[in-house]
Amino acid sequence: MSLIDRFTNSWAKFRKPGYYEEFDYAWTMSVDLDRCSGCGACVTACQAENNLPTVGEDEMARGREMTWIRIERYWEGEFPNIKLRFIPMMCQHCDTAPCETVCPVSATYHNQDGLNTQVYNRCIGTRSCAVYCPYEVRYFNYYDHHWDSPLEQQLNPDVTVREKGVMEKCTFCIQRIRQAKDHAKDDGRRRILDGEVQPACAQTCPTEALVFGNRNDPGSEIAKSLENPRAYHVLKELNTDSSVTYLKKVDADAS
Amino acid sequence: MQADTRELQFADVNDDVVRSIVQTGTKYYVTLAIAFGVTLACFMFPWFYQLYYGIGAAGNNHPAVWGTYLASFIFWIGLSHSGTLLSCVLHITNSAWRKAIYRSAEAMTLFSLMVAATMVMVHVGRPWFIHWAIPYPNQMEMWPNFRSPLMFDVMAITTYLTGSSIFIYMGSIPDFAAVRDRTTGWRHHMYVLFSLGWRGTDTQWHRLGWAYTFLAVLIIPLAVSVHSIVSWDFAMSIVPSLHQTIFAPYFVVGAIYSGTAGIVTVMFMLRKYMGFEQYIKPMHFDNLGKLLLVLSLIWTYINIVEVFTGWFSGASGEIEALKYRLFGFYAVLYWEMILFCAVAPLLMISKRFRTSLVPMLFLSIAINIGMYTERFLIVATSQPRQYLPDAWGLYIPSIVEISIIVGSLAMFVTLFLIFVKIYPSVSIYEVKETMDMPKRKGAPHGQ
Amino acid sequence: MANNAVGLFDEPEGALEAAGDLKGAGFGRPELISPIPLEGVEEVLGEKKSIIKRFTFFGAIFGGLSGFALAAGTAVLFVHPSGGRPIITFPPFLIITYEMTILFGIVATVLGFLISARLPAIRERLYVPEAAVDKFAVTVPCDTDEQFEQAAAILRNAGADEIRQLSGQA
Repeated sequence: MSLIDRFTNSWAKFRKPGYYEEFDYAWTMSVDLDRCSGCGACVTACQAENNLPTVGEDEMARGREMTWIRIERYWEGEFPNIKLRFIPMMCQHCDTAPCETVCPVSATYHNQDGLNTQVYNRCIGTRSCAVYCPYEVRYFNYYDHHWDSPLEQQLNPDVTVREKGVMEKCTFCIQRIRQAKDHAKDDGRRRILDGEVQPACAQTCPTEALVFGNRNDPGSEIAKSLENPRAYHVLKELNTDSSVTYLKKVDADAS
Repeated sequence: MQADTRELQFADVNDDVVRSIVQTGTKYYVTLAIAFGVTLACFMFPWFYQLYYGIGAAGNNHPAVWGTYLASFIFWIGLSHSGTLLSCVLHITNSAWRKAIYRSAEAMTLFSLMVAATMVMVHVGRPWFIHWAIPYPNQMEMWPNFRSPLMFDVMAITTYLTGSSIFIYMGSIPDFAAVRDRTTGWRHHMYVLFSLGWRGTDTQWHRLGWAYTFLAVLIIPLAVSVHSIVSWDFAMSIVPSLHQTIFAPYFVVGAIYSGTAGIVTVMFMLRKYMGFEQYIKPMHFDNLGKLLLVLSLIWTYINIVEVFTGWFSGASGEIEALKYRLFGFYAVLYWEMILFCAVAPLLMISKRFRTSLVPMLFLSIAINIGMYTERFLIVATSQPRQYLPDAWGLYIPSIVEISIIVGSLAMFVTLFLIFVKIYPSVSIYEVKETMDMPKRKGAPHGQ
Repeated sequence: MANNAVGLFDEPEGALEAAGDLKGAGFGRPELISPIPLEGVEEVLGEKKSIIKRFTFFGAIFGGLSGFALAAGTAVLFVHPSGGRPIITFPPFLIITYEMTILFGIVATVLGFLISARLPAIRERLYVPEAAVDKFAVTVPCDTDEQFEQAAAILRNAGADEIRQLSGQA
């Protein structure tokens, strides 16, 4: 296609905002806070699946954690009437993500599946995306990480190991999504079935608090989750249009 | 004020400026060596350490990913504002007191911008790829993201750097010609090149005057836009305490404020160490002091607005961030900033204070310390208190960062020291314009 | 290479008067070499037109168009959906346009200055080093000796300190 053709086609297609709302698969996750027990299995699974480094005690004490999903803990009240709430917080894959616009080298963008992707090769480490994210789910590699032998045998070959100076965050296990798409294509051009692809955290959750799927699929489990009256988005007032829905915890003694 | 023993003549101006360039004593070389040494030890070596080991050498952590490098970057861009912007504004308004001081003020602008550019390279996680932020056609067919406030930064600072260098150079062409006639050796060859063969004919003066005025008219909106754009790095985020519309005027006023204080410091040093007592007079400090006073009052007002609108909104995120800034871990720094930048400058209401040079020097340094604190607080007290309380943290700069701050100041001093021995630091022809014209011999006054 | 009569004055009024007299006596356009820009030159020697403003204007327009073309063109060539914004968004692109307008305006002004002031000087031209310090020089080209005497007389009349005969092109 000539340059002029590319220009006019793109102008027609992308001039209006909302062009991106027609997603191919619209990957969504729902977190049922009533079922979440705060066990942290999702954190460990994510670390295993995505080659997350173990930063060590000193670095954790300095606040340089590297956990793409973290369990936020909020206490209310005094002992013995303590109420403890857990909120697993991962990248919300916002449709109007504040982090995407600010990267000067276009290292983060919204792909056609509704995922907010991070391109490690392009990142030059200005860290402005981390400042702009209101959920603070972006993590920076402050050092090169290494795995003592034989721990490097445990690394996932489908995922890269990031060098120092690069931003990273939850990707909804995009390597598993890609693999599922490949299997679907091998099986003869079918679509990915509901439940066929699960990110590591949803797969591991013992109470099935994390549900993942394609909200464009009307019969999927995630579509049912979204209709739940307990559903809400964290920091919805900031209009980030996040793809992660939280189901409010049922409070037994709430008035 | 001492009375001049003999009235200054045109020829004295040339003599003084040429002497200031050509004469170098031991004191100069010792100062240059110290400045360069501190730059190497405190800026280059810690930076290479950080390049090798990673940004972990700095004190950044999970919520506080931006630190003193960005605060220093904004501080140096701010310091750059006053020189060229002030020079242009005072040129448009035909003010006479600008003539002796504007050359070094513009040099200050240029070197601050250079130091700010190096601070960006120190701040970024993978500086060996920083050229990707420049739009150039490449085999990856990738272009930078022009929607990003950081890209506005790149374009604005490139334009400002180009504009300031062109502006200072254009204004110095006649001075290079004057100095070229009186120097020998490598200096002479350098000035022959720089002066472009300027002769001083009326045609050339006419053209220079027009071009200079056009440049001044173009640079004023540019300078205002540059620091507004730098402020939008912060203001376009949606985190509390950064997402405020007052940021653009706040940063621009703060920049002119700290830049003017920087000019006072530089003027004092030039006057004392380069023998410019007859050119940089207490009158200049008086005028700069008045300007500083006005800017200090505006800055105070803007700070009050920021605190007030945050409190008035009642939004929990804003109130929490405000409380942290005023009474949290860095409360001492906040009130020190208020003391140095809002309270202490009120001393300049008295003319006696404004015209006494050493107190003005100390006050200008105090103002710049306070303004650096302001930039630091914007970075260090906004990130640790965002919307989700679980992700709150604390940011303490590491020794590497503090050393790099000191090193960047030493780098600025080194560049300036080299400047004063190469470039005429007081504008010869403009100073002559402020002096009395030679009168016709034997003619009555007023002819 | 023409001969030139050069008169050195201690003060500008004499130089201006001499220039006016020389022009009135029918010589070619006299040139005033001075260490500072002089006032009153235009009354004596006639209005000067400056083409610099045309450079600035067209430079700025070109800058604005190319700034927007850069931002919008690269956004369309490399479609990069981010933050739900349209691919060609005006608020950020107007800032880029603004900066490029000023950048090209500045560069065009400098080019206009260099071209109209005929700098850098490739050939050596008539120059009086004292005129960079505290003297004001009036130079006028003379072809013959009588013209030189006539010019010298006018210059002396106006109060010249020194008369020189220099060869060179003004």
